[in-house]
Amino acid sequence: MGQGVLDVDDSSFESEILKADKPVLVDFWAPWCGPCKAIAPVMNQLEETYGDSIIFARCNVDHSPNTPTKYSIRAIPTIILFQDGKVVDQVVGAVPKSHLEELLKKIL
Amino acid sequence: MSDQLYNVAIIGRGPAGLQAAIHSGSKKAKVIVFGKPRNSGLYKARVANFCCSEDVITGKEMLEAGRKQAESFGAVFLEEDIIEAKSENNRFILVTESGGAFTFETLILAMGVARKKLQVKGEKEFVGRGVSYCVDCDATFFKGMDVAVVGNESAAAAGALALLLYARTVYLVCRKPMISDLLHERLKRSEVRILQDTWVKEIVGANEVEGLMLTNDESLKVSGVFIELGAKGAMELAANLGVVFDAETFSFIETNKKQETNIPGLYAAGDITGQPWQIAKAVGEGCTAGIEAAEYARKLADSERSRG
Repeated sequence: MGQGVLDVDDSSFESEILKADKPVLVDFWAPWCGPCKAIAPVMNQLEETYGDSIIFARCNVDHSPNTPTKYSIRAIPTIILFQDGKVVDQVVGAVPKSHLEELLKKIL
Repeated sequence: MSDQLYNVAIIGRGPAGLQAAIHSGSKKAKVIVFGKPRNSGLYKARVANFCCSEDVITGKEMLEAGRKQAESFGAVFLEEDIIEAKSENNRFILVTESGGAFTFETLILAMGVARKKLQVKGEKEFVGRGVSYCVDCDATFFKGMDVAVVGNESAAAAGALALLLYARTVYLVCRKPMISDLLHERLKRSEVRILQDTWVKEIVGANEVEGLMLTNDESLKVSGVFIELGAKGAMELAANLGVVFDAETFSFIETNKKQETNIPGLYAAGDITGQPWQIAKAVGEGCTAGIEAAEYARKLADSERSRG
């Protein structure tokens, strides 16, 4: 069990995500997005299981316009796996938990 | 029950919704059923394996009979799709495609499962790179750009109108709009450019969406394409209310044996709760949901009355 899902924004993205000492799974979301609400509990569940070795974070695109643009995000939820500041893989849309676990297996 | 005009809302008028309407109505709840019969999977089906109905009727006839039956129990039918669902102060608020807003104590989701993919070249490749299935979620990423919405029904028409607030030009690609007269009027008066009697053949681009090839051999330069087929479904309407989806496929709404979802007052029945996609299962779940929802509405009204 880790620290819960971390909220990040444009100003903290570099220090918290790109320079993190662990891999990070970031959920790009917004409050008006239904599928984002559906996937939020899944992120919490994954954090409870894998929170010791992976950082789980979420970035509200409504408050942070620059980061989504940098990663060419055109749909939410988009979930990106970062390691050493680089994108390992990403998924778009509300996907089942097993699908995200497959993603995590790439670095575990 | 309370003095409200209606207590129980049912979205979807397939077998689950109709059976729910019959049972809620028989419990004296004031019921309204939203949706269009042609959107039920049963509409074009021939019924072969439903108990006690061997070779008796077609799906279409069955839906019509169910409607008359539900009406005899007091249910009211409104042939409109719901384009928005929200909850406030223990009530559910539904907005129809024509813009009407209704308030209910309880809501039964019975709108089934529908195909949401276009199944054309370029669609899968460009998901998240210009292809979107959710106007509400993704319109903001297309500010000042040219976009197309694909679909014949309420989700596409309402989506195109919503995109006008963000995009520079909005095209609606459709075979024929199948929407309420009021929504059609709004669409025609708007700046949405309607491309009718055509469909998408291919979504083209290098790294992201750059345009569409249409079946009438015209091409359209757009940066985004919103695929909005049919009426809004579970993910579009119910996710906003905070319902939990099944962990395995993330496509169906989780319910218990009372057809309750994780949200108090919100029920789901029929194909929307998962397989088997059979009339028998749909009417069984609809029956339970109808009874439980009427009971919930009664208890809610009683407790509010006793509190004054």
